[in-house]
Amino acid sequence: MNEFSHFLRRPEAATIISLAAVIVFYVIFGGVDLGKLFGAASWVNFAANLGIVAIPVGLLMISGELDISIGAMIPAGSMTTAILSGYYGYPIAIGMLGALSVGILVGFVNGILTVRTTVPSLIITLGSLVAMQGIILSASVLLTGNASVPLTAPDWAKFAFGQLIGGSHQVIIIWWLILTAIFAFVLHRTSYGNWIFAMGGDRDSARNLGIPTSKVTIILFILSASAASFVGMCQAILFNSAQVSGGMNFIFNAIVSVVVGGVLLTGGFGSVIGIFFGTLTFAIVNQGIYFTQIDRNWSNLIIGAVLLIAVGMNETFREKALSYVPKKMKA
Amino acid sequence: MSTTTKDKRSAARMLGRLVRRAETGSFLGMVVVYIFFAALGGRVFLGAPGFSSWLNTAAEVGIVALAVGLLIIAGELDLSVGSVIPASSLTVAIVSSHYGAPEIIGILAGLVVGLMVGFVNGFLVTRTSIPSLIVTIGTMFGVMGLTLGFTVLIAGSTGVFIVPDPVTKALLGQFVGGMFQVTMFWWAAFIVIVFYLLHVSPYGNWIYALGGDRESARNAGIPTRKLTIGLFMLSGFAAAFVGVGQVLTYQSAQVLTGQAFIFNSIMCVVIGGVLLTGGAGSVIGIVLGTLTFSIVNQGIFFSGLDPNIGSVIIGALLLIAVLSNDSFRKTALSFAAKKAP
Amino acid sequence: MNLTKILLGAGTAALVAGTAMAADVFVIGGKPDDPFWSIVKRGAEDAGIVAESQGGSVTWLGPQNYDNLGVDAAELIRQAIDQGADAVVGPNWVPEAMDPAFQAVVDAGIPLVIYNAGGIEAADRLGAMNYVGSNDYKGGVAAGEYLGNAGNLKGVCINTLPGAANIEAFCNGFIEGITNVGGEGSVLPLPATSFGSATAVAQAVRAHLLQNPDIDAVFTIGNVDSNSAVSGIAQAGKTGQVKVCGMNFDESILNNIKNGSQACAIDQQGYHQGYLAVSILNGFVNYGLTVPTREILTGPGVIDASTVDATLAGVKAGTR
Repeated sequence: MNEFSHFLRRPEAATIISLAAVIVFYVIFGGVDLGKLFGAASWVNFAANLGIVAIPVGLLMISGELDISIGAMIPAGSMTTAILSGYYGYPIAIGMLGALSVGILVGFVNGILTVRTTVPSLIITLGSLVAMQGIILSASVLLTGNASVPLTAPDWAKFAFGQLIGGSHQVIIIWWLILTAIFAFVLHRTSYGNWIFAMGGDRDSARNLGIPTSKVTIILFILSASAASFVGMCQAILFNSAQVSGGMNFIFNAIVSVVVGGVLLTGGFGSVIGIFFGTLTFAIVNQGIYFTQIDRNWSNLIIGAVLLIAVGMNETFREKALSYVPKKMKA
Repeated sequence: MSTTTKDKRSAARMLGRLVRRAETGSFLGMVVVYIFFAALGGRVFLGAPGFSSWLNTAAEVGIVALAVGLLIIAGELDLSVGSVIPASSLTVAIVSSHYGAPEIIGILAGLVVGLMVGFVNGFLVTRTSIPSLIVTIGTMFGVMGLTLGFTVLIAGSTGVFIVPDPVTKALLGQFVGGMFQVTMFWWAAFIVIVFYLLHVSPYGNWIYALGGDRESARNAGIPTRKLTIGLFMLSGFAAAFVGVGQVLTYQSAQVLTGQAFIFNSIMCVVIGGVLLTGGAGSVIGIVLGTLTFSIVNQGIFFSGLDPNIGSVIIGALLLIAVLSNDSFRKTALSFAAKKAP
Repeated sequence: MNLTKILLGAGTAALVAGTAMAADVFVIGGKPDDPFWSIVKRGAEDAGIVAESQGGSVTWLGPQNYDNLGVDAAELIRQAIDQGADAVVGPNWVPEAMDPAFQAVVDAGIPLVIYNAGGIEAADRLGAMNYVGSNDYKGGVAAGEYLGNAGNLKGVCINTLPGAANIEAFCNGFIEGITNVGGEGSVLPLPATSFGSATAVAQAVRAHLLQNPDIDAVFTIGNVDSNSAVSGIAQAGKTGQVKVCGMNFDESILNNIKNGSQACAIDQQGYHQGYLAVSILNGFVNYGLTVPTREILTGPGVIDASTVDATLAGVKAGTR
């Protein structure tokens, strides 16, 4: 009993329960066949692609920042890979390095601007989002004369980044699991993790405690931007092509996954495992609709409703589980 | 500003007070981008076509931005505006065109849709502890689904056509002088009303208090719940109003519209110097922010620059506008502003 | 997984005893709130009424948005296989991304029809039964030639969704078409901040026309944009001088064509795409019926003032 209540206090507890509730909802009201659902790759693939971005976005949120430039960084990653290795024919390793460097560079700019100015990071990354969209589009049109670029990746790159395991499960799922484990270790077992929580709680006192807040913030922004360009890179390698538009939906999806995963929008509270399950929940809400008998015209309604219910349960649960009344948060 | 006074010190003090106002930064940002595009765009941009071009865009975003701005000052966000716009246009078109009811009924129904969505948002935000960002993402999806589902169910397609009668069209969907959209005057009316609300009436202080510290606002006897619900209803109403204006202007309503308003309205508000964390901001600032945003967006087409790099310039100018705004505020305020998440 | 499939198959077979095999047809298409795709969906569902009366079903799989078109559609194809489809209909939007998924369909022994995009070449390459549809590029060409032949030789394609492969095809086709008849064309890509805002698009069109006074032909990529372009032209004081042609149409656009404020609309006849593709597969799976005609073209048709009245009736019924 003691251990159970201990589990309930953890940030991810409510998320796991709402994940179960979502599945039950779909089975009862949508006539979903569980065998088909669990056998299907679509939602796991969806979750993996989203999850790799959601974790660093979640870490940023825990530290009290937001990054929405990820929406442009996914096509940035895939286009850089495709332009370098597909259009110009450089070895794929160069294309991959290029994609990651673009991610690091944009993340660095986001981080520097956030640290050096008092402009909220939402707005800074909104600016870099719009600017990156333009840069990708104009670079692609100016360099290749086209808005989508084909790419043929060698076998080893396909094997590592663009393989379909068993013909349906993307290899990126494994990357997702590995990254989840690494991030979970960093956040919950190292002093960096404590720093991130401290920064989200109160940045000024974190700085006074001697935490290099600026450095940590910049690194977190670099992580989220390069995670997004990594996902773009994998997509380009898997699907042999890249196009300019793409990734905008990742913005909402990542934020929602993180919040469903129990991270406080105001920072200072959350866990990597929670984000992991939040992403899974969101993926099932989003992709599960295809397994139901419901007319597709209503799918957005269902997604909205299930989302609200999931987060709502999450919150009520947390309130009940924690002995103190949590402070109402501001968006 | 008045320079008639001979006393230099009092002039300096006035200047100091002016500089310290949040709007000054926004105003300078606007002037900078206007000069930038005026230099590139030449006479067409400076003339009436240029003015009407960015004023028309500003008017629509501006109406939504005012209401969203009040919410942000009160410490909340509303993303559902993006789905309320098509929802209300389609309501007008379905009620008045498909069912043939008088237009005034259709328009009222459209506005009621906005108020209802706002009420649901406000209710959920005040009764649960879910952050408003998430609540309104949820209602955004919900309203999108309802709009699509009902439109296809009732009208059989995703777009509905309407021929507004001349009076309604003149009031809500006309182009004055062939180029100035009548929405502009409604925007002006909205500005006056919201200005009164925020800066003259006692509600204004309540809104600031709400955004500053909700707990102490409640302890001070402010009806925080009612106020929050009211603000959400206002933003729903504003979005619905824009939707009504659009359907009467373009004579057709489509499911697929409005998404651009979500980020655009937030951008306008923040360029206007409103703190994303709430508690600070002004109506004049929001208006200036909206103008800056639309000048940047429309100026691109007058500038002769390659439209392919349009987004790059928009992004860069927005950042510059916000940054100049920000460094301005930093130097002007004696204390360090609290960093926003 | 296999066990469930067998059990489920047995269950379905028991339910519809009497029919040889009921076809569960999966159709991969666009967003359900896309004006064009809602008509394709309607066509597929109408064909589904026949399929259902024979004990089968039609399931529509569409992406939530077009941000990642090829990738998402490839996922949906795999989803159809996962769900035990008896037949699959899909558009070949982004061949590089989607070919492997279509290949998986064929490898699983599931009959496949390519529709809407890709052409008969794609169907042959992938081993699909047939191709039903028009061609995005050719749609653009038709518009370019129509406007050029009408004497409007300086054209611009308003691209409100730059980067999406199908939209780029419209615009490139338009430029090709207007060049074919001796004119010239360009593309005006709009920033993402204006997508879905009629006023922003209208103002952009107007500004572009004022800044480039020699342009006399405008091509738009969708319903919403056509209305915006007409409004933008009127505000620029160029009604009558600048002609508009757009992809797809609805009632308001047809009325604009009728009263002369829009010159033409390109019809891809989406209803037929959905209807024919599903019917072909349903007949094949249930009764082994085949259609020997390969490459069934449903468009592009051009709707102008001379053909607008017949089209209006179809729009009212939600089939055009």
